[in-house]
Formats: sequence, structure tokens, C-alpha cells
Amino acid sequence: MSGWAQTADTAGAVLLLLGAAVSLLGAIGMLRLPDVLSRSHAATNPQSLGMLLVLAGVALRLRSGIDLGTLGLIGFFQLLTGPVAAHLVARVAYRTGYVGREGLLFDELDEQLSRRPDGGAPAAAAAEQSPPPPDGTA
Amino acid sequence: MISLGFHDPDLPPYRCVVLGRRRILDLPLIAWLTVVWVLLWGNLSWANVLNGVLVAVVLCLVFPLPVVDLRLRLHPLGITRLAVCLLADMYSSGVKVARQMFDSRPYRAAVLAVPLRCRSDLMLTATAVAVSNVPDGSVVEVRRSNATLFVHILEADDPEAADRARRSVWRMEELIVRAFGDHEEIDRVRAAPRPGGGGR
Repeated sequence: MSGWAQTADTAGAVLLLLGAAVSLLGAIGMLRLPDVLSRSHAATNPQSLGMLLVLAGVALRLRSGIDLGTLGLIGFFQLLTGPVAAHLVARVAYRTGYVGREGLLFDELDEQLSRRPDGGAPAAAAAEQSPPPPDGTA
Repeated sequence: MISLGFHDPDLPPYRCVVLGRRRILDLPLIAWLTVVWVLLWGNLSWANVLNGVLVAVVLCLVFPLPVVDLRLRLHPLGITRLAVCLLADMYSSGVKVARQMFDSRPYRAAVLAVPLRCRSDLMLTATAVAVSNVPDGSVVEVRRSNATLFVHILEADDPEAADRARRSVWRMEELIVRAFGDHEEIDRVRAAPRPGGGGR
């Protein structure tokens, strides 16, 4: 019996370390990637994986029913709320122009935003914006 | 005055009217809030359950939510498949972002419009949340009127990357709808994706 407990403890410790390492990778990505939108990739994807690994590690060390429920709850809310926060940051960054427009190869949202809500494109904007730029204007 | 939704035909099921129709209590919501309360306290006892129900009812009375028809269905097989795919995608997404950040080669990002097939708000929201957790996923904007997601992708200069990103969003949508959607939505998802980017 203590052999199983030992194994679970070791596996839990390994998962904790692994989760921490993955989260660290996300933090490094936040520092290295150039703009807000790219950083939001690094902020969401590795972080949620790291968080799940840490929770699995903690679950393997705690091993009691109601604690597993609480950990599941934490994971559920994190997975649900993390993307919402990241989306709001990305949306604000896009709308306030912090993307470095010259960095975007093509932008299908811009075409839709500059179109009128009734569906008819204003003539001037259509002439300027409707063909997606074939080459990134470097 | 309390009347349950089963007896009252013009109420949705599992709803309960109190205070003379000025408040509608959503019974599944109260059950869920009670579960959260008990889990947060960390032990299952009658006192905790009763307090949880009390807090949930008071919360729902003081801060009423609009009545929404979620049309949520749970398909166990679909949920299992969704969970496995999400975990696998999270892993490959972590690997991909890691490679990206240690790659000194400059890359060009882009914003891509992906028209979805599902129509209900719940499916749209769930798809947007799930897409944020998979590779090529950073949702910049969600347009509800024509159910379109706008995702920011890295490495858009690879000609196949945009197609790959679109397909991965559509696959995630299908997984989500097959896990939580009703028959109408599943039929819609079974059809081929709408071609082209954006537009109506």
C-alpha cells in the first residue's frame, strides 16, 4: 500500500515540476514575443496546460475525494475565465492599434469593420480596403 | 407564493416563480451554486449544504439573471472526445508556442475570419473559449450576428497556415457541438463549412 502512495507522491512531484516549467515557458514567451497579440498566445496556451499539470500533481499528492472536487472546480474556472481575459486584452489591443499594422500579413477583420453595418461598403473605403494586400507592405 | 415550472405551462422547466412573478429562480443554477459552495468549504455536511442553498437563493433573488434558454445537452461520448482532443491540442500548442519563441526567424502574423456553422450563443461562446486553448488560437473578435470568429494566427506567411487554422477551428466547433449541442445544431455542423473568409 505504501508502495502505491510512494509512486503517487513521486508522480505528483514530477507533474508539479513539469507544470511549473511549462508556466515558466509561457512567462519567457511573454518576454520574447514582439507584440501584444503574439504575447497573448504565450499567455494563454502554455499557462492553461501548466495549470492543469500543477493541479494533477496536487491531486496525486492530496488523494481525497472532496479535494479532488475542489481542484476540478479550480481547473474548470481557470479554463473558462483565462480565455475571456486573454480575448479582452487582444480585443483592446487590436482596436487601439497596438498590433503594428505593418506586422499583419492580412487582416480580414479590418475589412469587416470598415464595412457599413447594413452590408453596403462605402465607396471610398471599399476601393481602399476590399482587396486584401497580396504582399505585406514591408 | 411559489409555483414550479412543471405545473405552469408558460414557464420553462426547472424554473420556479417566487415573489409574485417578479423573480424567477433557475433551479439548476441554484444546484450548481450550492455544489460550488460545498466544494469551496471543502467538507460535505448538512450545514454546508443548507447554507449553500440559502446563499444561492439569496444571490439569485438579489442579483437576478435574465432568463436564457441555453439549450444545453450533454453527450457523454462527445464530452470525452472533446476532453481528449483538448488535452492533446493543449500539449501540441505548448510545443508550438515554445518553438516560436526560441525561433529567431521573423514571422508575419495575421487576423483570420472563420465563419462558424453553429448559431446558438452557447455554442459560439464555448467554441471561442476552446479555440483560445488550441494552437493558432487567439480570438480577437467574435461577431454574433453572423457567427464569425476572428482569430490571430502566428506564421501567416506559410500559405497552408491559414487553411490549417480554419480547419482546426471548424474541427473544434464540431467537437463542441457534438458534446453539448442539440440535434438541430449537430445537423448544422454535419454540413460542410461555409467556404471563403468572412462575409455573410
